[in-house]
Amino acid sequence: MTTQTLSETMPKPTRFSVRNVLQNAGIGLALLALILFFSVFTEHFLTPNNITNILTQITINLVLAVGMTFVILIGGIDLSVGSVMAFAAVVAGKAITLPGFGPAEAIALAIVAATLTGVACGMINGVISAYWALPSFIITLGMLNIARGAALQVSDAQTIYSFPYAFEEFGSAMIYGVPVVFLVALFLVLVAWFVLNFTVFGRLLYGIGNNEEAVRLAGHSVYWYKVAAFTICGFTAGIAAIVYMARLNISSPIAGIGFELNAIAAVIIGGTSLSGGRGSVIGTLLGAFIIGVLANGLILIGLSDFMRQMITGVVIIVAVVLDYYRAKYTSK
Amino acid sequence: MAAASLAAVPDPAEIPAFLSVDGLKKHFGGVKALDGVSFSLLKGEVHALVGENGAGKSTLIKILSGVFPYDSGSISLAGEDYRPANPHVAKELGVQVVHQEFNLLDHLSIAENISVERMPTTRFGLLDKQEMNRRARLALDAIGLTDVDVKAPVSSLGIAHRQLVEISRALQCKSQILILDEPTATLTERETKRLFDIIASIKAEGVTVVFVSHHLDEVFAICDRVTVFRNGVSIGTDRISDTTPDGVVQKMVGRQLAATTNEADPDRVPGELALRLDEFCTQANPKEKGVSFDLSYGEIVGIAGLVGAGRTEILRGIFGVDPIRSGRILQAGNEVRFNGPRDAIAAGIGFVTEDRKDEGLILDMPIAANISLANMGAVSRSGLLQFSEENRRSRDGGARLKLKYGRISDAVSSLSGGNQQKVVLAKWLARNPKVLLLDEPTRGVDVGAKAEIYAILKELAREGVALLVVSSEMPELMTLADRILVLAEHEIQGELTRPEFSEENILKLAYGQARQAGGQKQ
Repeated sequence: MTTQTLSETMPKPTRFSVRNVLQNAGIGLALLALILFFSVFTEHFLTPNNITNILTQITINLVLAVGMTFVILIGGIDLSVGSVMAFAAVVAGKAITLPGFGPAEAIALAIVAATLTGVACGMINGVISAYWALPSFIITLGMLNIARGAALQVSDAQTIYSFPYAFEEFGSAMIYGVPVVFLVALFLVLVAWFVLNFTVFGRLLYGIGNNEEAVRLAGHSVYWYKVAAFTICGFTAGIAAIVYMARLNISSPIAGIGFELNAIAAVIIGGTSLSGGRGSVIGTLLGAFIIGVLANGLILIGLSDFMRQMITGVVIIVAVVLDYYRAKYTSK
Repeated sequence: MAAASLAAVPDPAEIPAFLSVDGLKKHFGGVKALDGVSFSLLKGEVHALVGENGAGKSTLIKILSGVFPYDSGSISLAGEDYRPANPHVAKELGVQVVHQEFNLLDHLSIAENISVERMPTTRFGLLDKQEMNRRARLALDAIGLTDVDVKAPVSSLGIAHRQLVEISRALQCKSQILILDEPTATLTERETKRLFDIIASIKAEGVTVVFVSHHLDEVFAICDRVTVFRNGVSIGTDRISDTTPDGVVQKMVGRQLAATTNEADPDRVPGELALRLDEFCTQANPKEKGVSFDLSYGEIVGIAGLVGAGRTEILRGIFGVDPIRSGRILQAGNEVRFNGPRDAIAAGIGFVTEDRKDEGLILDMPIAANISLANMGAVSRSGLLQFSEENRRSRDGGARLKLKYGRISDAVSSLSGGNQQKVVLAKWLARNPKVLLLDEPTRGVDVGAKAEIYAILKELAREGVALLVVSSEMPELMTLADRILVLAEHEIQGELTRPEFSEENILKLAYGQARQAGGQKQ
């Protein structure tokens, strides 16, 4: 068969479908256009200082959005990440200020405490929504309240501060003008990209998002894969808590309000389908950049923060409408 | 029951047709759903429509009730051209349908459901509850449900009562023609009898009743005339008094199809026992006792039966998808219990599901990813995908089934139906299953690909795989199977060996005409 010999000569990995490349290229072009626009119309946009600013500003959202990508890929949603981040930060804040530890131990303890808290919350989200096949929208809405309440309870509604100096240093450290915390986020993106594209686990997450029943009938435990996706999302909320603490040197129980919406926006703008099964974490990276560049550039251009918020909203809607047409014309 | 058919039978010669359908055609894309349907309904008769699954009955009902427009041909109702633009217009003209699937709103009351199409209002435009309840009471009383509270929610009713409520809703509007689409499918014998009494009384009021049923005994109990459908064509209309169940079955099958070779495949010798089902009963099975049969290696066993006979449920039960209520599965003499597809797959079983779009394939994902879906271990090392290995295996698997595709990385959705089905097969063959369950293996597949799939399945049997095939297409089963089990209402009505294969014999068993057909040899 001629068609088969043709494919024989092109040992092309299955993961790079033309559609995915085009999709990311489109978002990349949009980002490039934004950057060009702001570079031309503002004086300070394309300065090293401002670029450092943007990278710093998008870091937390990017970290949360990486985890959110996993959940949205399986057709779920996690509304609790902002609250879970605050809860994890408060728990870690309590841990880091425990008396009797050296700075290194205290920091290690805080990192473990934050990630464990995030993982636990994410796992609870996953277990409940997967076991009873309930909409994750509702379950994580519940967790949003639980985690926020827990954060306030644990902290006694007080902001926790006076962290070790080394922690603060980590938060503001730079390598060639690039914030170290942003490199942490970028590292997470790379790990997520690898997991989603090169592992059986990632393959099956895409499969579940597309056709859960087919994956189940092929003998895979859909339940555990779903729990894992939510757990990953909780884990990144824990990492976001550490970044937040290192950046601001406080743990506030009212941190992260509304962060879940920005994370979801980054994922959706990045081209991941809300119904699951389609999208990429590279898209999420670009989506987080688009939100960050817009926020930064619109302020520089002299628009009020309220206008910025309105325009970000418009971008989200435009992204989803575009996605509708993309889905319509690429799948027959 | 007999009382109904004794009522004055209108003589077709005397009375002009009330509704007449002539040369009706309806195509969906390239599929001919109706390809020339002609028949007529008389005022006040009970008229049965019978035919195999997919013969065109449902499409006809949907056209009559205004769901689909028709392509060509003509329908006239009481002398006027009948071309309803939507179901509402059809109802206005007096054509009512009681569908097989329920259209009731579970959480609303019975009264609200009965009036949902035209809610009574007070002078101020508010809902007139009293009037609504009064109407509902009348409607229920009319069909003998005097003991049911109209204010109770529909969800509190059993399935049989829901069906009756649905009928009362249809009756409440003044209808000229009432179409009942398999109304007895969910009813017990007593309720069926009650329904027949109701049909007799509506008929006495001059309403025409169209009765669609898979049960010929019911057709012969209450109908005046019967029209047989086959492959989208109306074969003919008979007066019930002039025909017999056997005659109807023969028309449904079509004589020319009956000639299939009944010779067994000489290369295929059933080997050792692969699976034994012992009083096997899934939760979907309402019957007390389950089904029992054996499946050997190197053998193809077919399961025939009408939709709803419980065929798919057996496969799903074996594969561990649906819970098992009672009974046992024995594999090589040992009892096995699968807690899910994973266990069944580990035991060497594969399951080609009925609906490839919903259950078989991940349409937007590459061909290679679909082929390796049930066999991830072979294409990965410590959880990491080995793409070259995956592509090599997928291409081999595709070549074995003569799969036609552009690139192995193309989405499955880019393939034709037949090739999509081959991908589903390739997915399971990648595991070298010892037992393969297949549910409608060639549905929506063109003739050429069908023949190829048959050849593949026969080859598998020769290699010693045990195959259990569920199909609604009788020629398919007669081509493939060594034995055919015929199922009706979750019970095995009989088993046919190759010399006994004929569509007539299958249909007789499937329609519960078991006794006569059982031992009959060709």
